[in-house]
Amino acid sequence: MRSFAIAVTAAALLSFGCGRHDEPMARDAAAPAPATAAGGSAPEGSSRNSRPRIVVLGDSLTAGLGLAPADAYPSVLQRRLDDAGLNYQVENAGVSGDTSAGGASRIDWSLDGDVRILLVALGGNDALRGLPPESLERNLARIIERARQRGITVILAGMEAPPNYGAEYAKRFHDVYPTLAARYGVALVPFLLQGVAGIERLNQPDGIHPTAEGARILADNVWAVLEPIAAPQGS
Amino acid sequence: MRFVLRMALRETRASWRRLLFFFVCIAVGVAAIVALRSVIQNVRAVFGREARSLIAADVLVSTNREWTPEARAIIERRLAEAGATARTETIETSTMVRPEDQAKPVARMVELEAVEAAFPLYGAVELADGRRYSHALLADHGMLVRPELLTALGVAVGDRLLVGQAAFTIRGVVLEEPGRGTGQFSLGPRVMIDLADLDSARLLGFGSRANRQLLVRVADARIDRLTADLRRDLRSEFASARSFRSTDDRIGRNFERAENYLGLVGLIIVVLGGIAVSSVTRVFVLQKVRSIAVLKCVGARTRQIFAIYMVQVGALGLAGSLLGVLAAQAAVAAIPWALGSPPGSLLGKAEYRVTWSAASQGVAIGVLVSTLFAIVPLLRVRLVRPSLLLRDETVQGGPRDWVRAAAAAAVSGAIVAVAAWQASSLEAGIIVCLGFAGLALVLLAAGRALIALVSPLARTGWFPLRHAMLHLSRPGNQTRLILLAVGLGAFFIVGVRSLQASLLDELSVEVRADGPDMFLLDIQRDQVGGLTRLLGEALGTRAAAGDLAFALIPVLRARVTAVAGREVRLDGVDEVRRHGSLGREYTITYRDRLEPNERLVRGRWWNGPAADPEVSIEQSLEERFGIHVGDRIRFDVLGRGVEARVSSVRDVEWRDSRNGGFMFVFRPGVFDDAPQTYVAPLRGPEGAAARARFQHDLVGRFPNVSVIDFREILETIQDVMATVTLAISVVGGLVLVSGAFILVGAVAMTKFQRVYEAAVFKTLGATTRAIAAMLLIEYGVLGMLAGLIGSSGAVALTWGVSRYALDMRWRLFPGEHAGGVAATAALVAVVGALASLDVLRQKPLATLRAE
Repeated sequence: MRSFAIAVTAAALLSFGCGRHDEPMARDAAAPAPATAAGGSAPEGSSRNSRPRIVVLGDSLTAGLGLAPADAYPSVLQRRLDDAGLNYQVENAGVSGDTSAGGASRIDWSLDGDVRILLVALGGNDALRGLPPESLERNLARIIERARQRGITVILAGMEAPPNYGAEYAKRFHDVYPTLAARYGVALVPFLLQGVAGIERLNQPDGIHPTAEGARILADNVWAVLEPIAAPQGS
Repeated sequence: MRFVLRMALRETRASWRRLLFFFVCIAVGVAAIVALRSVIQNVRAVFGREARSLIAADVLVSTNREWTPEARAIIERRLAEAGATARTETIETSTMVRPEDQAKPVARMVELEAVEAAFPLYGAVELADGRRYSHALLADHGMLVRPELLTALGVAVGDRLLVGQAAFTIRGVVLEEPGRGTGQFSLGPRVMIDLADLDSARLLGFGSRANRQLLVRVADARIDRLTADLRRDLRSEFASARSFRSTDDRIGRNFERAENYLGLVGLIIVVLGGIAVSSVTRVFVLQKVRSIAVLKCVGARTRQIFAIYMVQVGALGLAGSLLGVLAAQAAVAAIPWALGSPPGSLLGKAEYRVTWSAASQGVAIGVLVSTLFAIVPLLRVRLVRPSLLLRDETVQGGPRDWVRAAAAAAVSGAIVAVAAWQASSLEAGIIVCLGFAGLALVLLAAGRALIALVSPLARTGWFPLRHAMLHLSRPGNQTRLILLAVGLGAFFIVGVRSLQASLLDELSVEVRADGPDMFLLDIQRDQVGGLTRLLGEALGTRAAAGDLAFALIPVLRARVTAVAGREVRLDGVDEVRRHGSLGREYTITYRDRLEPNERLVRGRWWNGPAADPEVSIEQSLEERFGIHVGDRIRFDVLGRGVEARVSSVRDVEWRDSRNGGFMFVFRPGVFDDAPQTYVAPLRGPEGAAARARFQHDLVGRFPNVSVIDFREILETIQDVMATVTLAISVVGGLVLVSGAFILVGAVAMTKFQRVYEAAVFKTLGATTRAIAAMLLIEYGVLGMLAGLIGSSGAVALTWGVSRYALDMRWRLFPGEHAGGVAATAALVAVVGALASLDVLRQKPLATLRAE
């Protein structure tokens, strides 16, 4: 018996998209044991290795809500990097329900160790909650500036507000990403959910979170921008 | 035949006082049944209406996608099959609105609800200023808004708001609307528009998020079937169906509990009434033994005598039942007056009247039970010999009497049928009757044992006590009868009372008025100070009760990556991995104290911060995943691994929403530097305007903080729960009163057996006082024994019912049980003595000479 209190907490804390039921996720979680999770997203305190890191700062899309950890798109990216012989460790710093403000306040914790590349994939929850695009812009700018101070290459992943928020809001929201990319000269993934959003087959029943297949397309979208940056200079 | 009727009439005339008593006793029993069942049916009707208005329909089909042709086809087919009588569609979507007036550029997120003319199928939209809702208000780009939106945007009725590409005119302010559901939390106030105008706003397109609903009205009997069919067929279409009876939310569950409880009480009251009628009938017939002997002396045949008394009992049973219906009518009509009709409360909306079904059931039970229970003792008529009159001996059961045994079996069958009818299920009827029979046996055995236990008192020197005790074990007395009737009565009444107490206890948490009704989330660390000040200013005055009006709770997100125990429990861990349930993201917190809704089950709670990670888990994790105190759990907290030792297990009372509930609570110290946000459950200001202003200020200063206001939903829940609570209390009170009446009848009837004895004692020199003391003691002891048996039985009853019928935790209320014993003893003693007043007053000579 999950009560109302939990419904509130679930709705409020877990993730906005996920809805109010704290349902068991990853039903078929074929998760490998952490020790063997080469492509997993869970580093162990002891094995904080010396590989250079790529941190993915995101929300539930990044955390892989409703998916097995190995199916979340950062894990897919890890495999792509490994296959391409690129020596990076991908850190999944996705927090379900997190907004750009949350990302800005946890940036220091997440940029731990030898971080080379930061992928900022935030804004989905700002949109779902109808938060002002100005604050989104301010928060993302803070994140980018912080990373740049540390000499980390930033990739910004764009997000769109759903059309039901009205054309005006959607446009202002959309414009935040190209504006920031231009201002700071950072690489831009035009829309993280390109080719997935609105396509039923690629989304979980909640209509927000991609399926494993959808997550692979997200990885494709990012890979197109990430690969040239991660690849050794000159190759 | 004419002789039979004449004799029946003459008999009636001759002993009218005694018959009147019989008649009144039956009337009381029947009145109790009819009044209670009517009230229960009335209240259930309100529940049904109320539950329907929560979803504004009988059946609700919803999807967060567009309706596909396949889904449409399925719905059409199923609705046609079920013969749905009405339907309407709504679309809900979140959107931004802002005033058309460019001078007010604030945009606000709202929950837009587009409805058709037929909305709502149940319930009513309530507007401010008592205006009546009609769909015409929405037509042609009209909109209805919540008061807080007016404050937030600084607009008034008559102004225009932009929604997407279209402008809408505010035509009114909505206070309450059906179909709000109970589990839906929106981030903005609701706005209603006409479904026909939705397209012009151009909100719905590729990638839009909207919830489409189909509201259906259908005949009551088809609801469950239709819901189940739709649910099954639409699963592949990502649509879901629920009925107003669906119990997947709190209100539904509590409605169901209340319904089950009322149904049970209805059945119990019938049994109680039946006991009263039967014991009264039995005593009545036994009284006739002498008259029967006389009739036999003068040549009446057994069949004639049998017919005479059956006619008499049947006629009196019918008349008494009809009187009972009239009394019930009066009692039920007085209920609104007694309730004082609290304005706006749901119970005030109930129509209190005797229902036809309750009345016919009551009369049928009155007549049936009285005649059925008359048959068995009347069959003794065959054994009554005229010599009885001369020898003046009691009728003892001779050799085995097969006819009577057969009659008894037939009567039992008829009783099962009555019970099955009441419970509207044969199975339930049989179970009830078997339980009842078993109970009667237990009562008899327990009664005998208890009497044996008190029998040493029969050797005391004090005359009243000695004789009272002797009476208990004397042949032909009423001991067994009273033990059975009163014991059963006490059993049911005490049982119902403690079930009521337990149900009310269960509900009380939810009706509490001071719980949080707003929820802030995504508060960043650097905002905590500012926010605390703002909340303190806005809410601080109400913190005087020592109960802070708000709490700031730090939360982090974590995943469990490994569970390792003192002994490695690989099986358990594998199991966990396969089910994947532990693998999800958990919201965790850290703190130094237990919340009021938590209880430490095992282990020790920490004291102060520590660098070594420690975690306290919720009991269900221990049960489901076999994680124990001392085990180590590895968490992935935002990309960092943290291994924590389980140092305690907590039981969280999830129903108490005050401070939420957490599966994992950490010892402070480890996460001090970790990225975290805060959430704040709080009790917002009173009044819609004040709340709107509060939210406005809050969002103005802290734009990233989201406010979820669930006051409205909470009020709906509280209103419903208050109704359920009141209904349960009213019915409980009625049970007590009618139960007492029934017992009075059953006990008082036994007085006729005392008349003769009292006369004999008096002749032998006993004072009236001694006889009164004797009666008081005898009835008091009887009552106490019966109460004791009944009360202890009630403990078992409440256990079984809480567990299997009402689905809630079993609670013991010793007060109710002890009180039950005392009250039963007192009641039986007083009633027995009062009913025997004329026995005491009567001159012995009159009694001895003749009746």
